[in-house]
Amino acid sequence: MSGIFAINGGACVAMVGKDCVAIACDLRLGLQALTVSNNFPKIFQYGDVFLGLTGLATDVSTVSDLFRYKVNMYRLREERDIAPRTFANLVSSTLYEKRFGPYFVGPVVAGLEPKTGEPFICGFDSIGCIDFAKDFIVSGTATDQLFGMCESLWEPNLGPEDLFETISQALLNAVDRDALSGWGAHIYIIEKDKVTKRLLKGRQD
Amino acid sequence: MSRRYDSRTTIFSPEGRLYQVEYALEAISHAGTAIGILAKDGIVLAAERKVTSKLLEQDTSAEKLYILNDNMICAVAGMTADANILINHARSVAQQYLLTYNEDIPCEQLVRRLCDLKQGYTQRGGLRPFGVSFIYAGWDPQRQFQLYLSNPSGNYGGWKATSAGANNASAQSLLKQDYKEDCTLKEACGMAVKVLSKTMDSTKLSSEKLEFATVGQTKDGKIYHKLWSADEITALLKEHDLAKDENAEEK
Amino acid sequence: MEVLLGITGKDFTLIAASKAAMRGATILKASDDKTRQLNKHTLMAFSGEAGDTVQFAEYIQANAQLYSMRNETDLSPSALANFVRGELAHSLRSRKPYNVNLLLGGVDPITHKPSLYWLDYLAALAPLPYAAHGYAQYYCLSILDKHHHPDITLGQGIKLLTLCTDELKRRLPVDFKGMTVKAVTKDGIVDIEFDDDKVVKSA
Repeated sequence: MSGIFAINGGACVAMVGKDCVAIACDLRLGLQALTVSNNFPKIFQYGDVFLGLTGLATDVSTVSDLFRYKVNMYRLREERDIAPRTFANLVSSTLYEKRFGPYFVGPVVAGLEPKTGEPFICGFDSIGCIDFAKDFIVSGTATDQLFGMCESLWEPNLGPEDLFETISQALLNAVDRDALSGWGAHIYIIEKDKVTKRLLKGRQD
Repeated sequence: MSRRYDSRTTIFSPEGRLYQVEYALEAISHAGTAIGILAKDGIVLAAERKVTSKLLEQDTSAEKLYILNDNMICAVAGMTADANILINHARSVAQQYLLTYNEDIPCEQLVRRLCDLKQGYTQRGGLRPFGVSFIYAGWDPQRQFQLYLSNPSGNYGGWKATSAGANNASAQSLLKQDYKEDCTLKEACGMAVKVLSKTMDSTKLSSEKLEFATVGQTKDGKIYHKLWSADEITALLKEHDLAKDENAEEK
Repeated sequence: MEVLLGITGKDFTLIAASKAAMRGATILKASDDKTRQLNKHTLMAFSGEAGDTVQFAEYIQANAQLYSMRNETDLSPSALANFVRGELAHSLRSRKPYNVNLLLGGVDPITHKPSLYWLDYLAALAPLPYAAHGYAQYYCLSILDKHHHPDITLGQGIKLLTLCTDELKRRLPVDFKGMTVKAVTKDGIVDIEFDDDKVVKSA
């Protein structure tokens, strides 16, 4: 058992641009060396807020379904969509509730604040410590590779098109050096009035 | 003589009636009217607001119409506070079903869960029943568009057109006369405002006094529910010559 | 080692399970049915720890039947798969988790689309066009990668299944005593006659 987080594999990255954010994930679901599925997306959308989840696949499903429940109840009661910063606090509290029996996930939140349009990203550890970042957040089995790619490729104030290129190259090259991630990618570019989702094919190995 | 049996909701009277349930129905008959009409391509819910005042923050308060989940909305007739408890419960039930089965709850099951809860308050605990009747409008893949009515006893029925609240007997007979099975959503909207104008105290309606909502299907086949804005309601009223004339004298 | 295989096509889902029931070095039975019919259009095949498998499968079967009786309508295969996943996820963090791997195959009663779900004992759920559990994964998935495509007919699906079982006969050191094969179509679940007797020699 090479660590619970490395049983199923997966990678996720989020980046801040100029009036936009991007979040991307790979599509692999594996059982250690064996690949079970090449269509296991790890990014979930709740209104205008995006959540990326790497780690143990069962907890990825459990946690994403749980947040759908909570965000739907929030939206029905408040009669408005949840803001990214608020959602981040919801994620943190939910994870800490399981402090002594945690969900084995590495969440990443990305979105634009509703009134100001300010880009927002953050990452968490499995027990809910929030890491607010101004540049990028990485998660999964390819974090070492992703850190290297992001640190060298990212620069501030990238427009949506450039941000797409940057995040794609960062993810694709990082997962190509990780045996447990890859098999395709989903890239979301989030701007004030539109969200573009692209599917990248990448190396199918 | 029946006074002796009123103090407990969970006790039958000698005639075999549950007086608390009947008193609850009486309370609802003082509340604003709500009607629902099932069309072949959608459902319309319309309700009369009783609490109208210029000082009320209109945009943020929903008094009669509520969203339950992505597929269902409901209209309330009765005590708003009681309704809020039940609506919150319905929303949790719907989300729990979504969490378990990854599908939206079929309409009748949600209605049944709420009704089972209401029935509990007529048999156990010594608490009074909820003083609310609901009209539910929703869609599911098994039975498509559906309309249900439930009341404090915990009974419910599926309807093509129904009403609850004040003057609901006359609303019901008007609907019986005018309802056509194959009507479109647009025709149903017109029928709804016409019936409401006849049952409400004032003959000229305005958007402040009404809440209006529709459940329908977009061209792509996606189900939507829309709570109408004040302007949209005014436009509909104007279309059917029911709008209050701005220059007319106030009564 | 138990073999579970699932293949979907244009309008069917095939589920195949080995017939041998083993305890250690002994084959207890050569006609073991490792599937349970959950409702008219959904079939579940199971493998894993002795006892847990049948207990869990019959628990799910009972719940599926209860839902059908209470609500006068069957749960769709996708709803059932998510229900099963929820039960496994709940069991995972209990005192003693169920150690069961599952393949859930069905045809949606309304859209008539076939579906296949792979579930492991950790409650990871993956909808797939074809899937396997156990050592069969290592031998058969590559064959299915090469030869499967979404529009195959039931006949072609059975031929694919034969390709897989031939490879298993060639390479698995254990005799799994043939396969129980069932097909789910929009009309229900049927047993498929599957010729087990052919002896396959190595290339």
